[in-house]
Formats: sequence, C-alpha cells, structure tokens
Amino acid sequence: METAAGDDQMEEPLLTCRNVSKHFGALAAVNNLSVKVKAGEVLGIGGPNGAGKTTLFEAISGLNPASSGEIIFQGRDITRLPPDAVCHAGIARTYQLNAGFDSMSVRDNVRVAAYFGRRNRRIPGFRFGSDSDAQVREALELVGLADKGDELTGRLPVVDRKLLMLAGALASNPKLLLMDEPVGGLNPKEIDLVMEVTRRIVGRGITIILIEHVMRFLVQLSDRVLIMHHGEKIYEGSPQGLVHDRNVVDVYLGEGASQRLGALMQQVSA
Amino acid sequence: MPTRRDLLILAVLVALAALIPLVTGMRYIVTQATLFFIWAIVVTQWNLVLGVGGIFSLAQMALFAVGAYSTAMLGYYFELPMLLAMPIAALVTVLVSTLVGAACLRLKGPYVALLTLAVAQMLYLLITNDTACFTNPPSGCMPFFGGVRGFTRFGDLGFRELLGGKWYVAHFYVGLFLLALAVLFSLAIIRGPMGLAFQALRDNPGCAMSRGVSKFKYQLWLFALSAFFTGLAGSFYAINFAAIGPTVFSISLLLFLMSMIVVGGIGTIWGPLLGALILMLTDEAMREFGDWRDIGLGLILAGFVIFLPRGLMGLPVARLPRLSGRRRAD
Ligand SMILES: Nc1ncnc2c1ncn2[C@@H]1O[C@H](COP(=O)(O)OP(=O)(O)O)[C@@H](O)[C@H]1O
Ligand SMILES: [Mg+2]
Repeated sequence: METAAGDDQMEEPLLTCRNVSKHFGALAAVNNLSVKVKAGEVLGIGGPNGAGKTTLFEAISGLNPASSGEIIFQGRDITRLPPDAVCHAGIARTYQLNAGFDSMSVRDNVRVAAYFGRRNRRIPGFRFGSDSDAQVREALELVGLADKGDELTGRLPVVDRKLLMLAGALASNPKLLLMDEPVGGLNPKEIDLVMEVTRRIVGRGITIILIEHVMRFLVQLSDRVLIMHHGEKIYEGSPQGLVHDRNVVDVYLGEGASQRLGALMQQVSA
Repeated sequence: MPTRRDLLILAVLVALAALIPLVTGMRYIVTQATLFFIWAIVVTQWNLVLGVGGIFSLAQMALFAVGAYSTAMLGYYFELPMLLAMPIAALVTVLVSTLVGAACLRLKGPYVALLTLAVAQMLYLLITNDTACFTNPPSGCMPFFGGVRGFTRFGDLGFRELLGGKWYVAHFYVGLFLLALAVLFSLAIIRGPMGLAFQALRDNPGCAMSRGVSKFKYQLWLFALSAFFTGLAGSFYAINFAAIGPTVFSISLLLFLMSMIVVGGIGTIWGPLLGALILMLTDEAMREFGDWRDIGLGLILAGFVIFLPRGLMGLPVARLPRLSGRRRAD
C-alpha cells in the first residue's frame, strides 16, 4: 500500500469539510460543520446518539450527499461525487452496522473492493487476475483474517465482521479511512484486538477518521478529537482536553465517566 | 472465470447433444432440437439480464427480432452472404441494446419493464404499420421492413446446396455451436468480475457502491453484451426458417421464454437450459390439446411462481454443490 503524503504537504489538509450541512426535512442532522484533517492524522469523532456523526460520513462518502457546504479531498471538490467515484478518489469507509456481502465468502467480499475499488474500470474484465489475489491476501492478513477466506460472510461472528469491513475498505487502497463505530458491541478483549489492527493501519500511513463511543478506544488512538452534538461541533482539540471541557462533560461524558477517562489517560501517558 | 467443473458439464452436455442426429433418423426431432438451441441461447442471455443483473427487461424478443430482421434485410437489400450478415446483425443488436439500456437503466425496476415493453411494441408497430411499397418485386409490394408478411428468400448458409435434403443436420450443429458459445459467455459473466459486482449490488447496494461498483455502468455493459448472442440467435432463427415476420414479437412467445427461466431457476447457470428443455417437451406433449396448451403453460408458470419461485435449481437436490452458481437475484 502507498504511504500518505509526507511532512512537506502537511500544511495542505488531506480533507476539508467547509460549512457542511445535511437536512432531513426540518432536521439539521449536520449543521454548518467545518473540519480539516491532515495527512497521516487520526481524528476521533464522538458525541451522543443522533448527533449526526454517521450522517457526516454518509455525506463524505457520497451515499447521502450534503445539502450545502463543500467537501474537498486532496484539493478536489468531491461534494457531489457518487460513492463509487469517492472510493476511486481514495476514501474508504466501514459501517456502524454489519455491512458486507452476506452471500459471499470472506475472500470474495474483499475481492470486490480490490478489483473495483482501486480505480474506475471503464471496461469490465472477464477474469480477476493475480494482482487482485495478492491484494486480497494482503488486506486479509493485515486484519488477521487470512485463514478465514473461505468462510461465508453471513455466518461470521461480530468481531470478524468488523475486521472484514476493515479488510474490504483497505483492499481499495484508500488514503483516508472512515471508521464508523469499529468496536461497537464488542467485548474488551475484542476491542483490544481491533485497536491493535487500527494501529497497524495507522502504521501504513493511512489517514483515519473514526467515530466511537468507547472512549478509551477514541482517546488512545486519536491525535485530535471532535465532539458533535445536535449536528454541531462542540469541541475540537486534544484528547486530554476533553475531560476539562465543561460542555463536553455536561452533554456527553457525564461526571463519572469523565473522571474515569481522566484517570485512564494519566495511566496511559505515565 | 468459469470453473473447471462448469466447463466439464458444458463439454459433456454438448457431446451428448451432438449425438442426437446420429441416433435418430427423425427429421422432426432434429429440427425441434435446433429450435431448442435457439430458445436456449435467448434464455441464457435473458437470464443474465434478469437474474444476474437484476434488470427487469422485456425487450429480449425485440432484440432477437433486431438480429433476425437485420440479417434478412442485409440479405434481401444488399445480397450480403449470410455468414457475414450474422455477426453484423449481432453487432447491430448490441448497438440497439446499448441505446435502449442508456435510456431506461436509470429508471427503477417496474419502469424498466414498462419502457422495454414499449420499445418492443414500437418496433412491432413500426414494422406492421408501414404499408408503403419500398420495392415492387414480382411477388408483390414490399414495405421497407417487410410489413406483416416479413422477409423470405434473403439467402442461407449454403447447406441446402451442399447437403440437399440433409441441410437441417448442419443447422443443428450450427445451433449447438452457437449455444455452447452463449453458455460459455454466460459462465464468464456469472463467475467473473461482473457476476461478483452484481452479487455485491444485490447483497448490499450501498456498500457495493462505496467499494467502487457502479450499478448503471455494469448494468449497461451487461445489457449491451448479452444482446450480442440474443441478436445472433435471432439471425440464425431467420436463416434457419428462411423467413422472418412480426410474429416473433408475440406476447405468448415472450411468456413461453420467460417461463423457461422461471421453471429452471432465475439467476442460475444451468437453470434456464433445464427450463427450456422442460417447457419445449411440455409444449410438445400438449400440442394435441389445442387451446388448452396455452392454459397449461400458464398453469405451469403460475405454479412455479407460487410454489417454487427459485425454480428447479432452487430444489435442495440441485443446490447441494455450487451447481446453481452464484446466488440468484431477490
Ligand atoms: N436517512 C435519514 N432520514 C431522516 N433522518 C435521518 C436519516 N439519517 C439520519 N437521520 C437523523 O439524523 C440524526 C443524526 O443521525 P446519525 O447521523 O445517524 O447520528 P449518530 O451517528 O451521531 O448517532 C438523527 O436524528 C437521525 O434520526
Ligand atoms: Mg451513527
């Protein structure tokens, strides 16, 4: 996989969301949100249910385009691109719920992304070719599913489904990876496993935006954190700053959780 | 890419079929088998569109007619050799299909059915309503598209001259050869990247799109490519019967062919072939019952839709190994 842009391009953000809004009727699910993400960075997004986090991902990935505002990726306006073009531009995502191709084997699932996701194929081929085989294997190895290639997707346990979504996303060779609640519903051991895999992905130089409610996952992986509430940004800054922000503690974390989180962060940094 | 087992099944089936003219002296059986090959080509390609691509197109027989009429007209007006007219007619069909596809594939399911049926009806009316004489041969007034009578005497493949009364045996093998190619093509589609793309789109359209699969583009490709063998089948049909007229547009023929796909198993590799065989045999058995024949076919179709919507290939026996190919459309 290619590495992301180096230090010389740091001042030019990889992704810029400028005044992005998404309305569902009268509801502003995302309201005038602006955020920049640098190449190589991990941005964590938190916030209560219904805050508009997933809706923001839908807008970036083109599945449900923004009502207004601009989304710029590598200097290119992608606000109105269809999902397949966004994928070819270098943005891959995973879903909050288990999304995959249930009737396929794990390997075929990843093959879809390896074959169709890397570039726009104008003329369909009649065979997959050995390079896509290698790409599928690499993605499965990266998430630790290499020996489950033949299993049927619909029968996988939850944690494997989450890892498979990651493998699928990675197989399209993205520069930016959007992860929507990658550890939602997992037990602590499984969370550690996904955390480990995510670190490996970061090590590949892939830029990440991740949405997560599990705060220890969010604060340990993120370079920067953004908290949303009612479609708006109520906090953007360091993970350490979170527990000291009155607003975040009040509307999202609560006193108890915020104290535990503060203790955890001291422990980790010590 | 087709698996080794698919190719093996195909080879065995072709080898067995090739024996038919050798073991029977009955001309009727051989010519009916040739007709079976033609319908089997149509339904394997229609199955790609309907069962694999999820495109509810009713334009298949109109495309078949485009292939047949192109062949007849190239022969009638330009005296083109039929061997040359066949591939040209197939390419003309691909062109027409691409235009129809571009016009209707952005629409939702039922509208695709309506629009493709409307296109078929338009072609039918274009042919039958045009009564002005384009030429005036000794046989009488000839409209440009042949009118209600259609075209005859536009050429043949030369087997009548070469083999005399046994020409139909050569046509049998031509039909078998074309069917084998059509099945190979459908195998390559279903087992290859396009089949995977459509399976992904059926399983989870949103996820498939975010993994780079463009629905419209691949549906258009499938619609255009599958028209090649549909047009070729039409072309061969015209040559085989040395005649083509507007009867190929009939709704009962369209239903007869659709029943083949439903009975065999929509979206499967071998189902449409099995369905074609069963329906042609059933049709044959009911030949003496006159009007009851259409009613019988209707009952069979209704029975399958209600009790066995996945067709014979959906039965547990057929589903054991991956005989039925990738999963059918929903
Ligand atoms: N397709 C939709 N149609 C109507 N309302 C929607 C749709 N998707 C999301 N919403 C609403 O938008 C708000 C934000 O939802 P979402 O982005 O899923 O929140 P989060 O991911 O932060 O929990 C919610 O109130 C939700 O009900
Ligand atoms: Mg969400």
